[in-house]
Amino acid sequence: MEANTTPELTSHYYEIADLQLELRFPARLNLNDILPSFVGFRGEKRNGTPAAVVIFQEEEVPSEEEWGALRSDISLVWGDNFRFYEQENAFVTLIKHTVKDKQWMMKSAKDFSESRIYGKADDARMGEFVSWLLMVVFGQVGLQHRLILIHASVIAYQQRQGIAFLGKSGTGKSTHSRLWLQHIPNTELLNDDNPVVRLEEDGKAMIYGTPWSGKTPCYKNKCVELKGFVRLAQAPLNRFTRKKGVESLVAVLPSCTALRWNKDLFNAMTNTLSQLVEQVNVGYLECLPDAEAAKTSYSALFEE
Amino acid sequence: MMKLRQDLVLRKVGDDYIMVDPSQGMVDLSKVHTLNETAAWLWEQLVDKEVNAAYIAELLCERYEVSQEKAAQDAESLIQEFEKAGLLEA
Repeated sequence: MEANTTPELTSHYYEIADLQLELRFPARLNLNDILPSFVGFRGEKRNGTPAAVVIFQEEEVPSEEEWGALRSDISLVWGDNFRFYEQENAFVTLIKHTVKDKQWMMKSAKDFSESRIYGKADDARMGEFVSWLLMVVFGQVGLQHRLILIHASVIAYQQRQGIAFLGKSGTGKSTHSRLWLQHIPNTELLNDDNPVVRLEEDGKAMIYGTPWSGKTPCYKNKCVELKGFVRLAQAPLNRFTRKKGVESLVAVLPSCTALRWNKDLFNAMTNTLSQLVEQVNVGYLECLPDAEAAKTSYSALFEE
Repeated sequence: MMKLRQDLVLRKVGDDYIMVDPSQGMVDLSKVHTLNETAAWLWEQLVDKEVNAAYIAELLCERYEVSQEKAAQDAESLIQEFEKAGLLEA
């Protein structure tokens, strides 16, 4: 490549759950337009290295035979429109498209401290794809800082305590959050799809809003103490069952994000998670989509 | 020579001893193994060592009031359990 074809890159800094991300994008691109959900997370350059650097390369996506060993094609957290590949010194995340020109690809260091995104800046879906790739990066980098990106809808109660509702897509996480908003006073939606849980130095568990929130535009740069995880299941009644020990871990594990074939990242996640489930309440809620359901989980968590 | 799988980490969660096994298939379903207190203690003793019935029986006899015959039986069945659960590697 000739030197004069390399566009000038501008650094942008973001703070998500107290972790700094640096994005280096061509200066002509307006990042606030491309990533509107990230605007509230902008920060200043800090001393020291950012947790992750992500560089946008407006280049052709390398051809298929260079991608490496296929590692996964589905994820409960991430949906199914992508592929992960592992190479000797890198992970490749590919967002598929039938037209090769419209594929997006990201190549990351094994610890995700640095990634390069390849795609076309005139792609109408650029923002969506970059946001999603940044979620992949953040999820993995966070594990090394006692953070876990989870799949949950989160209610903040009295601006101080958070409850994360877990469950597969379609179980009614968002519905259950709505029921809290309607029937429990002093509640607020913190995030509707991808919050981050953090185990602080003092052992306290906190939950943070993020720039990722599924279909609900709820991108709040704030955090509350995590009071509990509640796994939801549709049922003909409302009943809360508290879980301890291994059962509490099993209740939360499927909603956590980690590339399980990367031993270090996976172990970091289970380490954090095993400490988290001892710090907070964990339970199953069999529930109907009614006011009584919200009152049942509320009283299990705040009145017992 | 059989050894404990090195990628598994034994952890205590509440009163339970557990190991999370990141299954290597394409589907994102991890297994969680639960050990009782004796099995967890033996696991710790056996890290990086050869897993054989004679050594396990010896460990059991040192720690518990148990006949050598019973210890040998327990050691055999423990190895079988570990093997069945896929916790050992060559």
